[in-house]
Amino acid sequence: MLVDFNFRIIFEYLPLFLTGLKSTFLISVVSIILALITGIIACACRISGIKTIKYPAIAYIEIIRSTPLLVQIYFLYFGLPTLGLRVPEIQTGILALMLNSGAYIAEIIRAGINSVDEGQLEAGTSSGLNYFQRMRFIILPQALGVTIPPLLGQNIVLVKDSALLSLISVMELTRCGQTMTSERFMPSEAFFTVAFFYMCIYFCLKAVADWSQRKLIFREAY
Amino acid sequence: MIEFKNVNKWFGKLHVLNNIDLKIPKGEVLVICGPSGSGKSTLIRCINRLEKIQKGEIIVNKTPVHDKHTNLTKLRAQIGFVFQQFHLYPHMTVLQNVMLAPVNVKKIDKSDAEKIALKKLEKVGLTEKSHAYPAQLSGGQQQRVAIARGLAMSPEIMLFDEPTSALDPEMIGEVLDVMVNLVSEGMTMCVVTHEMGFAKKVADRVLFMDDGKIVEMGTPDAFFDNPKTDRAAEFISKILTH
Repeated sequence: MLVDFNFRIIFEYLPLFLTGLKSTFLISVVSIILALITGIIACACRISGIKTIKYPAIAYIEIIRSTPLLVQIYFLYFGLPTLGLRVPEIQTGILALMLNSGAYIAEIIRAGINSVDEGQLEAGTSSGLNYFQRMRFIILPQALGVTIPPLLGQNIVLVKDSALLSLISVMELTRCGQTMTSERFMPSEAFFTVAFFYMCIYFCLKAVADWSQRKLIFREAY
Repeated sequence: MIEFKNVNKWFGKLHVLNNIDLKIPKGEVLVICGPSGSGKSTLIRCINRLEKIQKGEIIVNKTPVHDKHTNLTKLRAQIGFVFQQFHLYPHMTVLQNVMLAPVNVKKIDKSDAEKIALKKLEKVGLTEKSHAYPAQLSGGQQQRVAIARGLAMSPEIMLFDEPTSALDPEMIGEVLDVMVNLVSEGMTMCVVTHEMGFAKKVADRVLFMDDGKIVEMGTPDAFFDNPKTDRAAEFISKILTH
């Protein structure tokens, strides 16, 4: 099989793949940042005692988690124009990824917060710390440590999910592979290259996550 | 200093506190004992409003604890609380554990708070552990840190919820020693415990609870040697035979 593998054509198409890589990278970074913000806000609403913000947050999280991402992408892609909102494909795609990942991130953060022992909160309460001080000094430093690995996982999922944006003709990495395939009919070469670039992004993300975990996680010394 | 007036509390249908009337004067050491589920922990948890009550009134230093307008931060700053499971913050050093509330609740300058914290750690005999993390300490040491953490707010009242029940037997002594020291300084204390030696040595009164009610209350000698009720006699015989 490797005998037939045409590396020359990959180099010929390299400029196209690099624009695709850049596009996927930008879409991912912007979506991750927006999804983190969405997730933190959704989580804060979800654990709040105020029903008017708690229930909409639950509805949002459950709707996203119970439907496929592709359906959500199509829903926004075809749905927004009918509402009179003409949004470019790339923004539609980022919006979909943000909403989708935000719901999962909200649940990841909530699990991190719940993992902190209730008794420590009571200890904080009894010494007069208010809600925000308990969050700031007791919960978040500990929740952050246990949250980073699953958050990394979610961000990797987001990067790979961005491949679905090729279906609403966003010119990202996977779409480049499709383009090359349709022009030259060399799917092995095309998707080998696509896969290779996704791996590059993955290892970059992993390095960032490892670094941040070393910086942020508290040392429970034994 | 602490007054319960006809206090009632329910967990669902369970009547955990049933018409509690109790006065604890300043400087008194009150030991609370009773079978598990009798409401003794709940009783002291109501004093700093870790638990709400449905009926009656609790007054601490003239402040109604369960009033909507009560400044809880101010109230809780006067009351130290020590838990059975210590509940130290595992991500902070011993010193940071003790300093957290003075710095953030009382807004004491960090360097001053550190001095206070070190003084309290000296009192519980753990100055040399001030930069250790809780997981590096034994159970007894952790509980002593928890006591220092409570003392760092300079409380007028200390509440202890079974402070030695989670400890290995050989560590109980070091924690009780610290508590006996506190008694000699005139601290007002409510201690839920089954340590009869401690009760006999320092308690002014022993309160026996069962089924959410105060069944019997008296001096340690009177209570342990001549219990007035059968229920108390049965309880004492059970804990003394082991």
